[in-house]
Amino acid sequence: MKVKKIVFYILATAIVALWIAPFMISFFTSFKSMDELMTTRKWWAPPKEWFPSNFVTAWKDANMGRYFMNTFVITIPSVLGALFLSSLSAYALSWYKFKLSKFILMIFVGGMLIPFQMLLIPVYRFSVSIGIYDKFIGVILFHIAFQLGFCTFFLRNFMKTIPSSIFDAAMIDGAGHFTIYRRIVMPLVLPALAALGILEFTWIWNDYLWSLILIQSDEIKPITLGLVNLQGQWVTSWNTMAAGAIIAAVVPLFVFLLFQRYFIEGLTLGSVKG
Amino acid sequence: MKKVLFVLLAISIAVSLLGTQKLVINSYMSDPAPKKVFAELVEQFEADHPDIEVTVNTFAHEDFKTLLRTWLNSSSAPDVVTWFAGERMRYFASKGLLEPIDDIFKGGFEAYFPGAFKSACAYGDRIYFVPQSWYWWGVYYRKSIFEKLGLTIPINWYQFLNTCEKLKEAGYIPITIGTKYLWTAAGWFDYLNMRVNGLEYHLKLTNGEIEYTDKGIKKVFEYWQQLVDAGYFINNHTSYSWQDAANYLFTGDAAMYLMGQFIKDVAPESVKDDLDFFRFPVINGEIGLYEDTPIDGFMIPAKAQNKKAAKIFLEFIASKEAQEYFASNLGRLAANKDVPAPDAHAQKGLEMILASNGVMQFYDRDTNPEMATAGMNGFVEFMVYPERIDLILNNLEIERQRIFK
Amino acid sequence: MKSQKWVPYAFLALPLLMYSIWVIFPIIQTLYLSFTDWDGVSPELSFIGWDNFKLLFQDPYFKISLWNNIKWLIGFAGISVPLGLLIAMLLDQKFKGSKVYKTLMYLPMTLSFVVIGQIWSWILEPRCGALNSFLGIFGLKSVGWLSDPNIVTYSLIMAASWRQISYAMVLYLAGLKQVPKELVEAAWVDGANGWKRFIHIILPMLRPATVVAVTVSVIDSLRAFDIVYVLTRGGPFYSSSVMANYMYIMAFNNYRMGYGSAIATVQFLITLGFIVFYMRNVLKKEEAL
Repeated sequence: MKVKKIVFYILATAIVALWIAPFMISFFTSFKSMDELMTTRKWWAPPKEWFPSNFVTAWKDANMGRYFMNTFVITIPSVLGALFLSSLSAYALSWYKFKLSKFILMIFVGGMLIPFQMLLIPVYRFSVSIGIYDKFIGVILFHIAFQLGFCTFFLRNFMKTIPSSIFDAAMIDGAGHFTIYRRIVMPLVLPALAALGILEFTWIWNDYLWSLILIQSDEIKPITLGLVNLQGQWVTSWNTMAAGAIIAAVVPLFVFLLFQRYFIEGLTLGSVKG
Repeated sequence: MKKVLFVLLAISIAVSLLGTQKLVINSYMSDPAPKKVFAELVEQFEADHPDIEVTVNTFAHEDFKTLLRTWLNSSSAPDVVTWFAGERMRYFASKGLLEPIDDIFKGGFEAYFPGAFKSACAYGDRIYFVPQSWYWWGVYYRKSIFEKLGLTIPINWYQFLNTCEKLKEAGYIPITIGTKYLWTAAGWFDYLNMRVNGLEYHLKLTNGEIEYTDKGIKKVFEYWQQLVDAGYFINNHTSYSWQDAANYLFTGDAAMYLMGQFIKDVAPESVKDDLDFFRFPVINGEIGLYEDTPIDGFMIPAKAQNKKAAKIFLEFIASKEAQEYFASNLGRLAANKDVPAPDAHAQKGLEMILASNGVMQFYDRDTNPEMATAGMNGFVEFMVYPERIDLILNNLEIERQRIFK
Repeated sequence: MKSQKWVPYAFLALPLLMYSIWVIFPIIQTLYLSFTDWDGVSPELSFIGWDNFKLLFQDPYFKISLWNNIKWLIGFAGISVPLGLLIAMLLDQKFKGSKVYKTLMYLPMTLSFVVIGQIWSWILEPRCGALNSFLGIFGLKSVGWLSDPNIVTYSLIMAASWRQISYAMVLYLAGLKQVPKELVEAAWVDGANGWKRFIHIILPMLRPATVVAVTVSVIDSLRAFDIVYVLTRGGPFYSSSVMANYMYIMAFNNYRMGYGSAIATVQFLITLGFIVFYMRNVLKKEEAL
């Protein structure tokens, strides 16, 4: 038994070590000089001399400060918008019996699973034609709409678990439909909203492709685009690129560490990822 | 100090009262050196034109290439974009996506630029492109390595093979190349084809008039295969960008790199002086010496918001001062004919071109963009699997027939 | 009581409107474009019937892409999912530090593909990257992870699996909450008996988690794009191309929007089968609706 326990610990530790090795490599790389990287090639070893200046280069040159703000400006309204609108649709799809209910639900679920390449060309053209191309609002509206499928599906699953007797009782008390939604259902799904919000935050924060297609001005680019710009300029400076990557990853990483429970709950409740 | 601030404030208020106009420029100059010089140029322009507020959006080179078409198509297109002269510009002009700019050249195009540039900047009888700088291609090499091994500059193919062999024996990578983004391989194809079959043949090919299965083309790959089979190219070149590959030249692991002058943009100070180039070796003495000389510059999308300011900007770019500033800071050749070569290195490049029998742009600038993608993929595939050459050329021929129908 | 028929539609109006504009209508438009020769620039386009699709099935690079998608599918559903289960089983026991271990295993899921791509680009770099440097210690020869056409797709799948395995593990950890801890522990220490118990008791209990993990992995493998785009763009010479990536190159590099739409359409139709399977499984219990 004792031996097995030790074997188990070694095995588990080995796997976890393997899993975080890429993180450690990036972390160490971001503090090394290119000379050290090229001469020793010991990626997995801590730097002999620490160079925080790589972060300064990355921060200054890639304009990370502004990209940070831009990402917040895009992400927060997108998450709030998606949560709000999907709570409406989820409410309708979970509490009311009507003819098209199942069909509409299938449309939402199907939409979240399609290859997004299907949308690329038309969404771009549409944004241009109504004048929201290269504006925050264009990306935000797209994110809200695109995430509606998953959010609706997710929240509906959750709302289904609320006993319908609560609903009936409220109806008898004469509460209006919107009052029930706002006063009764919403407070009950708050934990689910939190989980969903954390998940959506990470996804939208990490989006690259849609910003690439819908934004062209440096002024409003999010951090993922900034990072790729940095990559274009510092192709051979792996240390600077690593520093940039860490800067770009740090917010979702912290959000995750702070709200880990919600994040994991969100993933398992939603049973799908974007 | 306070006074200065006050004056500045007053000016800025006055300017804002007069109403500033916006000018949006999308640029692919993402390498640090050209990015910096271009930003300085823009500053100069803004100082001359305080009523115009310029925004420069910089994109990584490879992203820029895909995104350009989406911008040109959009109703909120940028006002000015960087691009390449030749077929790649003409493609957009032919679709009506570019603004003709003949009127910005007082005294005509030839008053600014060599007449030879005109065809690369025009579509039909109108000018759509302002050339900013141009450069030459050559075999860049490390002088110190050549000196150490007592190597001289190879003039002909036989000497070139010999040089490669000696470098290899001495433990160097004779030739570095990064083919991840394909176009570097097109440099080799251009030169081999020009040296084996001549310029006229090559231009016919890029025009879609010669079959890829032609005997002449097969011969080109026979020469290329000599280098591949002997293992003179760097291993795993398909996973490197051109800058990654250049790094092996800078670290002294590799000795030669067929590349454009802009390789100097990314070279560290410590090796810049050790970096020189020679003309691509002669293969057939009866064929003239031809070179790749790509022209870079600017154009205005047809759907630009502020064409007036865009034209003022391009006028500025065409001016001797602006051309000189850009060229001298980057060691390139200015398109403006009144600007001399900025340094000895550029002088050498210019002399090489002047002594040549003819020039072209570059494979992916002279042929149809779709054909270029197919062709360059084929070249890279050949460099990895030379034995597949017949299959590759057959496929390219099928593509050619579809594209140039 | 729930008789006012307009009520659900009132709640659905805004979300459905937005969804239609940005998701449903674009799908229809792409289907339409796949029958045209639109070049993305010209104002006019002509209807060319099935030509794009005919061309597509003669296109050797499309075949490579499709075949690579199948490799992704096997890698994701056939390897990532079982490995995720294995790790979940391993970590779902009572031991000191289990929480920290799990947290560390979750980390790859918080990263964007741009960051993942970058991290792996310096791990897989052929000459002095981390992996080859590591192999070098043992005197092993360098491998062209991203340059050897026979290997590159597997390298990409490996990079993507780093995240995918974590995801499968999360799903299984949730599923294992229904399974008594003693059973999990017994499965490990009980030798042949434990294995039997795992197959006959634990695995059936995990069926819902498996269904979700497998279908989502299949769907993800069919729409794989980001990692390929960041690391190789489908190269060298399309040997690591997948359908999504090939579509992007055709549509946005080669200006063949019609042809690109046709690729997206084929991709869509293949995925559709799995989407339907997913919905039938997930929504099956919704008969009450």
